Amino acid sequence: MSSITDCPRAPAALALGGRVPVARRQLLCEPAKLAVSVLAIAAAVALVLLLTGLRRGIGEQVTLYIDRQPALLVGQAGARNFIGQTSVLPETLGVRLERVSGVAAATPISKQFAMLTLHGRRVLPLLVGFDPGKPGGPWDLAAGRAPRARGEIVLDRVLADEHGLKVGSIVEHRGTPLRVVGLSRGTTAWMTPLAFAMRATLNALSRQPGTATFFLVRPGAGVSPVALAAGIERALPGVSAFTREEAAANDRSLFTGAFNGVLLAMVTIAFAVAIMVIGLTVYSSTSERGREYATLKALGLRRRALLRLAAGQAGALALAGTALGAGLAFAGLSVAAAVAPKYLIVVTAESVALMGAAALAMALAAAFLPARYLARLDPASAFRR
Amino acid sequence: MSVPVARRQLLARKGRTLAGLLGIALALLLVLALTGILAGAEQRLTGYIDRSGANVVVAQEGVRTMHMTESALPAQAANAIAAIPGVERAIPIVYVPTMLERGNKRALVYLIGEDRSAETLALASGRRAAAGEIVVDEALADMIGAGRGTTVASLGRRFRVVGEIAGTASLASSIALAERSDLSRVLRSEGTVNYVFVRGQEGVAAEELAARIERAVPGVTASTRAEFSRSERRLVGDMSTDIVRAMILVGFLIGVAVAGLVAYNATLSQLRDYAVLRALGLRARQALTVVLAQVGVLVVSGFLLALALVVLLAWLLPQLSPTLAVSIQRGDVLLSFAVAAPVSAVAAAFPVLRVARVDPASVFRR
Repeated sequence: MSSITDCPRAPAALALGGRVPVARRQLLCEPAKLAVSVLAIAAAVALVLLLTGLRRGIGEQVTLYIDRQPALLVGQAGARNFIGQTSVLPETLGVRLERVSGVAAATPISKQFAMLTLHGRRVLPLLVGFDPGKPGGPWDLAAGRAPRARGEIVLDRVLADEHGLKVGSIVEHRGTPLRVVGLSRGTTAWMTPLAFAMRATLNALSRQPGTATFFLVRPGAGVSPVALAAGIERALPGVSAFTREEAAANDRSLFTGAFNGVLLAMVTIAFAVAIMVIGLTVYSSTSERGREYATLKALGLRRRALLRLAAGQAGALALAGTALGAGLAFAGLSVAAAVAPKYLIVVTAESVALMGAAALAMALAAAFLPARYLARLDPASAFRR
Repeated sequence: MSVPVARRQLLARKGRTLAGLLGIALALLLVLALTGILAGAEQRLTGYIDRSGANVVVAQEGVRTMHMTESALPAQAANAIAAIPGVERAIPIVYVPTMLERGNKRALVYLIGEDRSAETLALASGRRAAAGEIVVDEALADMIGAGRGTTVASLGRRFRVVGEIAGTASLASSIALAERSDLSRVLRSEGTVNYVFVRGQEGVAAEELAARIERAVPGVTASTRAEFSRSERRLVGDMSTDIVRAMILVGFLIGVAVAGLVAYNATLSQLRDYAVLRALGLRARQALTVVLAQVGVLVVSGFLLALALVVLLAWLLPQLSPTLAVSIQRGDVLLSFAVAAPVSAVAAAFPVLRVARVDPASVFRR
C-alpha cells in the first residue's frame, strides 16, 4: 500500500512540523494515476465542449446564405423560416412588391435540397436558384464562374474537394446532369453546404415554371425592415414578410433543436463519467491512506480540515481535467478545421468558463464519498496495528 | 489447491470495483446511446414508408429518398402506373416539409397529401382529412396543443385537426396528413405529385413490379419498399458517420482511462500481495494473467452493465419525450463490444507494467 510517507519529500516536511500540503502530495504521489485520472476527466470535458461547440457551429452554418442577403424575405403566407419552409409564390409578385412604398428592389429566388449521392454517400447541399446578374447568387468564387445557362451549377469548394469534383465535372440530380462551372468560397457547412444554379434550372427540376420560393427584398434608404415587413403584409395578402434576422433565428432553432436530445444524453453521460473518475481517484487515494488520516485525526486535525482535504483534491482534479479538456477541445478544433473543414465547432471562452463552474460542481459531488469515509474514520484505528 | 486471487482481489474492495465498473459502463454507454438514438431516428424516418402497405415507391428519376428530398412527377404518372399489369393500386401523394403552428408553438412536419381512400397509415383516432382538415401525430398534438377539434396554421392556411396517427414523431419532425388536391392547390402544384406508392397484386414480386414500372413510364425511378426504406435510413447514417466515429473514439479513450485507473488502483493497493505471491513462487507471467483477468472481468461486466443501461434508456426516453426513440441494433452492440475489447487490452497495460516490476524481496523489507 502506498502512503503519504512514500512520497520523497513527505517525511522531511512532517518532521519539520510545519504546514504540510497533504492534498497536493497525495495527488502527486502517484503521477501515473494522476495523469490517467486527469486524462479521463479531460476526455469527458472535451467531449462536452466539442458537442456543444458543434451544435453552436450548426447554428452558424445554417444561416450562411441569408446572412449575406438583403434585409427582408417575402414568402408564402405563414412562412417564418428560410431553410425549413416550403413556400411557393408566383414570380410576377416581384412587380407588385416593388410598387410597395419603401421597397428598393425585390429579387426572386428558388431553393431546394439537392440530394446528391457522391462516392456512395448522401450529400445534401442547399441548392439556390437565382437570376444571373441579380442578387442571390454565389458571392465569392474560388474557381470558375457563376451559372449563366440551364444545367450549370456552382458547388461549395470544400464539398467539391472532398469528392474530387472540379470545374467541368458533372453531377446528377433528379435524373438531370448538371455541369460544375464554378466553386464557391465561404459556403461550407456540415448539414447544408451551398450550391447555386439558375432559377430556371430549379423550376424545371420541380416542374414549377413561373414560380419563386422567396423574394429577397432590399428596403429603400432609411426604411426600417420591420416596418416595411408590416407594410408588405398589409399591401399584399397571401404573403409573409419577415426580416433576415428572424428567419436566421428560426432556422437556427429548428436545426439545433433537433440536436438537443442527443446532446443532452451525451452531456449527461459525460458528466457522470467525470464525476465517477474524480470520486474514484479521491476515494481510492483517501481510503488507501486511512491509517495516515486516522493519525492526523488523532493528532488533532479537525473534521472540517479533513473534509477540506478531500474537497481540495477533488477540486484540483476537476480543474486540471477541465484545463486539459479545454486544451484537447481546442486541439480538436484545429484538427477538424484541417481534416474536415465542413464541421464548424465553436468553442467560446464562455463555454469553457461554464465547464469550469460545472467542474467545481462535479468535484463537490465526487468529494461526497471520500468525505463520508473521512468523517466516519476512527482516530483510534491509527494505533491498532 | 488453487486460490482465486483475481476474484478475491476484485471483491476485496467492492465499492471501488463497483465504481470502476460503472465508469467503464458509462464510457461504453456513450457509444451505445448515440448509435441507439441514431438508429431510433432512422426507424422513425421510415415510419410512413414501412407502414404504407406499398410494395414499390415511384419517384422522379434518380430519387430514392423522401426526407429532405425533392421529387416531382406529372399527376398522370399515377394513371399510367395503375394500368401496368400486376399493379393493384397506385396511390399518388404530395409531400412537403413545412412548419405547423398553433399560437406561438411551431413544429416541423412532413405534410403528406393523399386521397381520402388511400388508407396508408392507420389512424390512432378520429378520421381522415377532407379539404381544410389535417391529421397530426399524437406526440405533436401534445407538443403544440393541437388535439382533435383545434385549428392549426401552415402554408398560409388554417387546417382543422380531425384525426391522429402515432409513432411518426422523431427528434426534429413528424408526419401530418392532408387531402391531396387541397394541398396541391395551396402549393400551386396542381397537375404534379411527388411520389406514387404502388401496391402489387398477390404473387407479383416487388422487384419485378419495379422493373415493369421503370420500363413503362419514362423519367421515373421505382424502388421496392425495402430498398427505398434502406436508402432513407442510410441518410441519417451518411450524415452522422463522422460524428459517430468521433464519439466512438472518445468513448474508447474514456473507457481506457477509467478501466486503466481502476485496475491500476487495485493493483497498486495490492502490490504487497503480489510481492508475497511472487516470493511464494508465483511466476511473473501468472501474476500478469491475474491482472489481465481482473481488467477483463471489469470491462466485460462494464459492457454488460452498459447494455442493461441502454435497454433502460430505450424504455425511459420515450416516456419522457415521445419524439425520442432508442433502437438497439445487434451491429451497434457488436461495435461497442469491439470497442470494449481493446479497452481492456490497453487499460491492462498500466497495472501490468507495475506488476512486472515487483521485486519479490520487497515483501521482507518492512
